[in-house]
Amino acid sequence: MDSVFVYRHSESAAPSGGPLQGLRIAIQPNISVADWPTEAGSNALANFTALEDATIVQRLRQAGASLCGSTRMSEFGFGLQGSQAGGAFQWQAADAELVLDMMGESRLAASRVGVCGFKPSWGLVSRFGLVDLIPSMECCGLLSASLEHIREILKTIAGQDGLDFSLPDEKPIDFSPRKIDPKNNTLGVITEAHSGLPADQEKMFHASLDDLKRAGFTLREVSFPDFPLFSLVHQIVGSVEASCAAGRYDSVRYGPRAPGGKNWNEMYLLSRGIAFGPLVKSYLFQGAYFQFERFGAFEDACRIRARLLAGMHALTSQAEFLVFPAASGAPSGAPALLPETYAQFASTLFANVTGQPALYVPPAPGAGNSGFQVAGARLSDARLLDLGEHLLNMRRGGN
Amino acid sequence: MDFEAVIGLEIHAELNCTTKMFCDCPNRYGDEPNINTCPVCLWFPGAMPRFSQQALEKASLVCLGLGAELQPRSAFDQKVYYYPDLPKGFQLSQAHLPLSRGGGIDITDEAGKPKRARLHHIHMEEDVAKLVHEMEGRLPISLVDFNRAGTPLVEIVTEPDFRSPYEAMEFLKALRTQVRYTGCSECSMDNGTMRVDANISIRPRGTTQLNTKVEVKNMNSVRHVGDAIAYEITRQTAAVQAGETVILHTRLWDPDKKVTTPMRAKFEGPCVPDPSVPAIELTPEWVEKMRVRLPEMPAARAERFVKQHGLTTEEARFLSSDLEVAGYFEALIREGIPPRTAMHWLTTQLMPALKERGLELGASPVTPARFAALLKMLSKDEINANAAREVLVHLFDNEDTPEAIVTARGFRQVSDTGALDALIDKVLAAQPAAVADVKKGQGKAMGFLVGQVMQASGGKANPKVIRELLGKKLGA
Repeated sequence: MDSVFVYRHSESAAPSGGPLQGLRIAIQPNISVADWPTEAGSNALANFTALEDATIVQRLRQAGASLCGSTRMSEFGFGLQGSQAGGAFQWQAADAELVLDMMGESRLAASRVGVCGFKPSWGLVSRFGLVDLIPSMECCGLLSASLEHIREILKTIAGQDGLDFSLPDEKPIDFSPRKIDPKNNTLGVITEAHSGLPADQEKMFHASLDDLKRAGFTLREVSFPDFPLFSLVHQIVGSVEASCAAGRYDSVRYGPRAPGGKNWNEMYLLSRGIAFGPLVKSYLFQGAYFQFERFGAFEDACRIRARLLAGMHALTSQAEFLVFPAASGAPSGAPALLPETYAQFASTLFANVTGQPALYVPPAPGAGNSGFQVAGARLSDARLLDLGEHLLNMRRGGN
Repeated sequence: MDFEAVIGLEIHAELNCTTKMFCDCPNRYGDEPNINTCPVCLWFPGAMPRFSQQALEKASLVCLGLGAELQPRSAFDQKVYYYPDLPKGFQLSQAHLPLSRGGGIDITDEAGKPKRARLHHIHMEEDVAKLVHEMEGRLPISLVDFNRAGTPLVEIVTEPDFRSPYEAMEFLKALRTQVRYTGCSECSMDNGTMRVDANISIRPRGTTQLNTKVEVKNMNSVRHVGDAIAYEITRQTAAVQAGETVILHTRLWDPDKKVTTPMRAKFEGPCVPDPSVPAIELTPEWVEKMRVRLPEMPAARAERFVKQHGLTTEEARFLSSDLEVAGYFEALIREGIPPRTAMHWLTTQLMPALKERGLELGASPVTPARFAALLKMLSKDEINANAAREVLVHLFDNEDTPEAIVTARGFRQVSDTGALDALIDKVLAAQPAAVADVKKGQGKAMGFLVGQVMQASGGKANPKVIRELLGKKLGA
């Protein structure tokens, strides 16, 4: 199990009576817990110990949850290389895991181990105390076999926070579960989101759609020609934000300082040079390239992002929810470089660009499909969980 | 060829907020290094900026005080550069959507002609940490003090409207007065609460193009700004006349050698919209609320002083150029002191006395009420001007009322003719020559006799009454 956790914690009994009483939650080391190692999977933060609790940690503990440790993560949570997200379930060491979702990491990690993976709406959950890389796209994702757990955890951690001013001033969400009637819910399927899949994956996705039809949902095929731009926009905006955010992970105040610099500027340069792994380093270089050499392209990407947001929003008038594949058609095996990493998340990163909630629904045991994603308009998180519960229940012969 | 200078200024003014711009750390100067710090201003991983409402209010007051137009929407950007005084790798600043646009200040040029110096925009930004370079034995070490990191600033950027060092200096003096008036910044170049960068280029007189500019930094007084600009105009003119090309770069003013020296290529880092500080949206109602809080600005106040109190334009401008002085003057008026007496005694007696003691008007033990009580006794002829000056000295030294000091020290003016009669007779008997001169119509001798009586009274006699009595007795 040591390969799963970077830090294990046996927490003394939490205050009794909270809604999460007895729930064991594994986190990642990008979430600050006072006195826990908070290295976010990066050498640049080696030996950095958080000074104070993240807001979500404080809320989870207050609700009675016990934090059982933090799992191994990719560098800053970018991609899944080196990540053991989902591993705590396999070892039955946790009932739920918090997994940073920057491109779809929580949803793909869920698909690896066959549980539900939920990425909340951007701006719903405080980011105070989270070691960030792409602030406008990332958010704390939730993994659990139980959507009830996910709902209860989300209810606990969501909402305004005096320590995170970036949360928009919006009406709190009503998390109480409501029944879904398939007859009144249209599910949209974006042609461009699945047309590029390899034949076997396309077939499995269609099998999932057939299940949904059989369950009584109306399916509507819609076109969104801009869909392939999501990946490009994510990469340009994301790398620029990452390049800014990583400025403070300088490996000078924490992490290893490189020896041999003739003056402090050299010491900084050398230290940053040894601080980051090759994938993140190439990402930061790319961001710096857009910052210093092609700023116009970055501004274009921001404009296109606004257009994508408006386009996706318009689709919600045609369908209550959207169904996406989770797989991307990228070859399996650990991606080493940026293009492969982005290819791996081609089906999930749209939700990080738009800030809308997305849920990975695992396949029924023995079913001939690979699971799929459903997404809704921003802040429709509770409804999306209603839909997820309806789908899981359906398999159990309920509804 | 005859050249003219094109000068623009960038002024950083530190806002006197209670806290830093994005955290609750005290915004205080002069503390022990790295005391006023927290995870936010140290930019620890996981920290998030929390924009201060007070910083927004103070910055907005500065904008309104300079006639600028607050923008309905402004936002922070990350200005990217790497230096140990900014270990997070970017400075939060408003590069794309500044807090205000437009505005300006009326100045007078060398020829005495009025001139409008326009502002391009004003934006907010955080200050960076302070680097301290020291020697530890023979080893040079560099230390970082984060007390200053995150201090709220406004940067006031002018149009390239100045043509001479004089105009730039006049502008800075007027700007300093106006910003101080808003009560939001001390604006002292001395202690770094106001810092000025000058952008200077030259062009053939009569042309309108903007040529490559040179940025000059490190001036710590208005005088130095003028000197640095003058030096730079001469240097660039000579360079261009020698056939050289001016290249865009930054120079440092060396106050000892009185020259500018090249520092580095001018660095313009990219400015990326900050994803964590929310955009600032100002409603017209909020802006109106700020406008109400703005004090009457110096130009308007000077005009009112002329109309309402009958001062000359020059006197009114002088009094209104300092918020404290103008307020003190008006407090004296409210106490019933005639404007001219108030103006005269404030500027010729109280202010020099304060200066002598190194005191500020605001911290003066001679409050408007005490000073007014003194001036009232003077205008009622209870004491004379000499005695009033003496009492003023005592007002600095103890807390008694002027009345108590006058009584205790016997400064009260003697206007009682009976008491004076005897003194006058004694003086007349002792000064027959002067008496004769007065009778011959020599006014000078009259002054001498008044002085003699005054002396005999120990300085307490009312000179007006002496003159009257002498006149009667000598028939002059």
